[in-house]
Amino acid sequence: MRPNFFHHLHPPTIPAQQSRWRYTLGAGGTAVFLLFVLAITGMLEMFYYTPTPEQAALSVQTISYHVPLGGLVRNTHYWSAQLLMIVMAAHLIRVVMTGAYRSPRRFNYLLGLVLFVAVVLLNFTGYILRWDQGIQWALVVGTNLLKTIPVAGDALYVMLIGGSQPGPATLIRFYAWHIFGLGLLVVILTGWHIFRVRRDGGIAVPPPRLREDDARITRFELVQREVLAMILITAILFILAIFFPAPIDAPIEQLTTMANDASAPWFFLWVQQMLKWGDPFVWGIVVPLVVMLILALIPYVLPQAQDAELGRWFPKSNRLARLVLIGISLLVIVLTLLALLPGS
Amino acid sequence: MPELDRRDFLKQATRALLSISGLLGLGGLARFFYFQTEPPSQSVFDLGPATAYAVGTRTLLPDVPAVLIHNENGFSALSLVCTHLGCTVESEASELVCPCHGSLFDEQGNVVRGPASKPLPTLQIETTAEGNLQLFLT
Repeated sequence: MRPNFFHHLHPPTIPAQQSRWRYTLGAGGTAVFLLFVLAITGMLEMFYYTPTPEQAALSVQTISYHVPLGGLVRNTHYWSAQLLMIVMAAHLIRVVMTGAYRSPRRFNYLLGLVLFVAVVLLNFTGYILRWDQGIQWALVVGTNLLKTIPVAGDALYVMLIGGSQPGPATLIRFYAWHIFGLGLLVVILTGWHIFRVRRDGGIAVPPPRLREDDARITRFELVQREVLAMILITAILFILAIFFPAPIDAPIEQLTTMANDASAPWFFLWVQQMLKWGDPFVWGIVVPLVVMLILALIPYVLPQAQDAELGRWFPKSNRLARLVLIGISLLVIVLTLLALLPGS
Repeated sequence: MPELDRRDFLKQATRALLSISGLLGLGGLARFFYFQTEPPSQSVFDLGPATAYAVGTRTLLPDVPAVLIHNENGFSALSLVCTHLGCTVESEASELVCPCHGSLFDEQGNVVRGPASKPLPTLQIETTAEGNLQLFLT
């Protein structure tokens, strides 16, 4: 048989030590599987979702409560998206904590970061598509943040929302970005990212002469593990989808009237917390961009893991990079917890 | 003058042309996205006869959103759009509080506590010949 993309991603054998769950966490593969689930459930949602301000929230309710199995489809889409954020974060943490991002994998690390940002934006645009009273202030705040950018802010605002205030044009734009603009970007980058994994020499391992354990597993065993992971993830998704339905509220009547919920979506709570401190441009735009920049620079400016220490957790030689990532993670977690505190 | 052979010249010319095309494309994309299909949002609100608002009252106008104040000095209106990031502030006792990031304003719209740095703006109110109140957003 002629080798195809499947064979490119599944070499005849791979090192046994580095293909253990406890090393990879299975995070990259799980992320790809979740993207696949998101594409399928998202396509099914498109058959009912109506991207107009009057109909959007009602059509989401139709999918959730009237369409047979519609609730399962929507809740699975919702939970896959939330799990994907967590799995991608776990993947990033694993790659930094094992030092696997070092040359020649630096470029693929950057591709992964861009994918992470694209998925955050997909999650945010998907959240806005509910167009109910739960998302109202996130929409107002998120778009007004753009206006605070010096010089280009006002123009960027109009280009994103298509008017002088959020309205029908905004919803259709977010719909287009969510379904095609960002979706296409993620599909292309994911293909490139997983192509580069093999191209850069597969999973990171020490060079042959420094390897302690030469055992390898076959392509067949790899596929077995992948199938096992997919079954487990599917079970988790179904349990979440059945017992914890995705939120939906009454439609937005008027964008100026009060809504009950003023909290950001969970993955932006840390930004919302910082916005309470003052200047929105600094805390809402500059600081998140600086965090992304620091993450992007990790493989380029900080000491990298040495050959002999590749393929295992916590190599001594990249301690500084690990500390930087721990610092950023703690910052995000503490800010999120602060935002969740009642009365904050 | 340094020598530039034909190959290097063509290479650089190609690069320059590609960059210019790219920039032109970005500019075109910006123009494409900048178009506004919706008419600009309402900036004049008709509030009905002035006699409907007694002296000493504060009336909430949720559509604007603003609060209409009628006191001995006449009519005035205070915007309820938070100057920080645009959420609608809520009345709480005699103060106005933003639900999004906790900015606090007094009754006159002055900042009591951040993150907002500017006071809530006063909006222009005019009485028409028929005795109706009109509120101007800008």
